[in-house]
Amino acid sequence: MINHQTQLKVQAYLDGELSAGEARAVEELMRSDADAQALHQELRIARSFLAGNELERKLPESPEFYWSKIRRQIERAESTPDGLSEPTAPPWWSRFLAPAGVLGALAVFVALVLRSPQDGGTFLALDDSHEIETPLEETSSFSFRSEAAAMTVVWVDSHRE
Amino acid sequence: MSQKLDFATADDKMLVKAAQKGGMQAFEELVSRHRDKIYGRAFSMMRNEEEAVDLSQEAWVKAWQRLKQFQGEASFVTWMTRIVINLCLDQLRKQKRLRAESIEQMDEESGGVERQMPVVTPNPTERLERGELRQRIDEALGKLSYEHRTVLILHEFDELEYKEIARRMQCSIGTVMSRLFYARRKMAVLLAGLKREELR
Repeated sequence: MINHQTQLKVQAYLDGELSAGEARAVEELMRSDADAQALHQELRIARSFLAGNELERKLPESPEFYWSKIRRQIERAESTPDGLSEPTAPPWWSRFLAPAGVLGALAVFVALVLRSPQDGGTFLALDDSHEIETPLEETSSFSFRSEAAAMTVVWVDSHRE
Repeated sequence: MSQKLDFATADDKMLVKAAQKGGMQAFEELVSRHRDKIYGRAFSMMRNEEEAVDLSQEAWVKAWQRLKQFQGEASFVTWMTRIVINLCLDQLRKQKRLRAESIEQMDEESGGVERQMPVVTPNPTERLERGELRQRIDEALGKLSYEHRTVLILHEFDELEYKEIARRMQCSIGTVMSRLFYARRKMAVLLAGLKREELR
């Protein structure tokens, strides 16, 4: 019995997917190996049965109803601002926006914390638009709010007792 | 001087040109001509009437939106068929049928029963009416796994090469070859009217 790789070679020969050299080798094999020849025959018949014999089906809806749904979808898509615009690839630099934003926010946060170590209280007013809040001394969470960046960061330390 | 297009007698190329200029009526005529084929292809892949209707509709909407990209390298119906096939493949991937059929996949990777099966010869002299033959082929296709069915449809009905099938199914050429091999062997058995049990 021929091995699986050879079986696939026989099939690829049938499908015209082999180079001229490989095709000659398969032809040679089929002349000397009855199994390879029989397999080729089986695959060839299966292929010939299928070719051009897809079952024709009728749409199970009335043509008018089917078209009306398509038309509605098209009109709905056209009524949205970019409904018909082709999807455009985002610029190459946009992939760095999210990580850069996170890094920037962290840098601002760390800088603000380090600049005001003397206050140590429960509430640090940094300027009009930034604030760090630690609601209770014994709690293990605090938050940072930047109005300028329209962002709030909440830090929760679950290991603190 | 512009001439009014007779939609009923115009060929697909003329209708496509008219539709590319925004002619909705021309597009409607294209839908009318090819809706059954596009629905049929969706059904062949999905084996579900409702999904096939939805996906074929979606394909027409996409076609309208991308009509300007159609340059006529292939026929309009071939282009449409490719759109609906891609939508079906996306949908099948979403449904994660690949995972659900992991046993089938393992079988395929380890060689499966088909590798050891004796060669069978579907009787080519059996004179079936074309309609009956198509019916039997369709029933046999319905018994295959999604991967095996898809690879057969793409290769035998759409006449795509291994490389193109691999690209569309997002797998290697080797996997395409294996799937095609097992699919054909299963089809040979099913079309010969043999049951797997008889071969064991």
